[in-house]
Parts: sequence; structure tokens; C-alpha cells
Amino acid sequence: MNASSHTPSVTEEAQKQTMKQSCEHHAECMKIIQSILDDEATEAEKDHFRENMDKCLPCIEAYRLEKCIKESLSLKLVKKPCPQSIMDTILTKVNS
Amino acid sequence: MSVAMSESITTNGYTDDLRYEIFNREFMPHIDSMYNFAFRLTMDEDDANDLVQDTYLKAFRFISSFEQGTNAKAWLFRILKNSFINDYRKKSKEPSKVDYQEVETTYNSEEASDTTYTVDLRADAVQELIGDEVANALNALPVDFRTVIILCDIEGFTYEEMAKILDIPIGTVRSRLHRARNLLKEKLKSYASSMGYDS
Repeated sequence: MNASSHTPSVTEEAQKQTMKQSCEHHAECMKIIQSILDDEATEAEKDHFRENMDKCLPCIEAYRLEKCIKESLSLKLVKKPCPQSIMDTILTKVNS
Repeated sequence: MSVAMSESITTNGYTDDLRYEIFNREFMPHIDSMYNFAFRLTMDEDDANDLVQDTYLKAFRFISSFEQGTNAKAWLFRILKNSFINDYRKKSKEPSKVDYQEVETTYNSEEASDTTYTVDLRADAVQELIGDEVANALNALPVDFRTVIILCDIEGFTYEEMAKILDIPIGTVRSRLHRARNLLKEKLKSYASSMGYDS
């Protein structure tokens, strides 16, 4: 599954037609999606994911969204360096 | 339970040289992550500076309760989180910003909300958002929810490490993350809508 933005091709549109358009156990699937993305999934969850996640449109879209949010948090947020003055103060106090 | 309390349980007889070595080698490399965590918790530069400084001085004072070879970053984060709760949360401006009713309702409805909860937001819309918008959405969350997202998605801690840092069971880590992410999606959705992105 590719999270990138693009115009769906004819083939993709055709594939979508054969997919499940609604998920009767979406709440449970959301928990599995979270486990997969956090690298915390059990073997059973991984199996379930592999077997079902290309058949269900709501779950594919949810997976893409969750993955995109997770990546945005880790990549887009500015990480500030700790001010040198704080480091100096800490080291001075520890060494005194 | 504070980290400091475990000192009486484990007392490693480190020499002075070893104490400085551990401090410099194991603790100092995490200072940028610690600073960012402190800043995202307090949302105030002066408070973040004080919190990081206090945490590192505490870490040095109680270094005998740190076991070499264990996860120094998680150990430091736990001290910082405890210092934040005990020393900063009460005096900071944060409490007035937190809607405790919302937190209460949210905690109590964790399971109930699962079955019906969906936010109409597309991945493409999230991709359009810039870092500041994502940061603002994150900062708008109540601190307990903000914390689990920071630990998991920004700092990459495992559920087990998060459970230790936060003193909560792994099941609670899991469900709190789930709720935190749903709340975050709501905030992101309002940013995406206000920016005119089709969601």
C-alpha cells in the first residue's frame, strides 16, 4: 500500500469495485492496524493483516491515514537542540 | 512511585569515576530528546529548561539506582515525566488549558467509543499539512494523550517501555494511544478543513 497522493488508475478503480466497501469489524481492525504500525503486532495479528488488508477498502484507507499521521509526527515536527547554556549548567553543577 | 524511590532497592556501588562516566556516556547523549519532551509537555521554554536541568541533576544524584546496560533513555524519560507531574504540572499554565471533563469522558468511554468512531479525514489531506500545523494539533491534546503520542510516534518507545515510563499497564498504553490518535485526527481534521484541503 502506497500512501502517496496520485490519481487512481483504471485498474485500481476496478480493484476497488471488488473490495469490501464497508467493514463489519472495523473497530477490531483499527486495533490491529495500530499494532502493525507500532511494530507491536502478535503473529496472529500479522497473519490477519496479511490475509485481509488488501480486500477491505475502509481498512486500507484507515491504514494509509494512520501511517501518514505517524510519519508526519516523526518527520515533520521540528526538533530543537537543547540550549548549550543548559548543558553547561548541568555539567557545572554535576562536577561541583 | 518516583524513580528515586527505587534507589533503596538497587544500590550499585559505583565509584566517582564511574558515576561521571555513566552520566556522560549514557545520559548526556539523550539531552536533545529530553529537551524536546520537556518542551512539548510544558509548552514553555523556561519551564522546559528548568525541567531538563532538574531531571539531569536528579539522575546524577540517584545514579546508583541506574543499572548499566539497561535502557538509559527510558530511565531518564521516567524521571522527567515524574518531575513534570510532581513539580511543574501544578504550577504551570497547563491545568487551565486542560478540559478535565473531556479527559474524564474520554477515559470512561474508551471501549464504548471504539465501535462507532471514525473521523472523516484522508491521508492526502494530512500530507498537505506542514510541521507547525501537526505540532499545533498535537499541542491541543490533553497532556496525558499528548504524552503517549510523543513517546510512541516521536521518540519510538515500545509499549513495554512506555508502560514503565508512565507507570501504567501495557493494555492502558494501547487504549490510551488509540484514543489519543482519534483525538489527534479530530484536531488534524479541523486544520485540514481550515486550510481548504479536501478531506
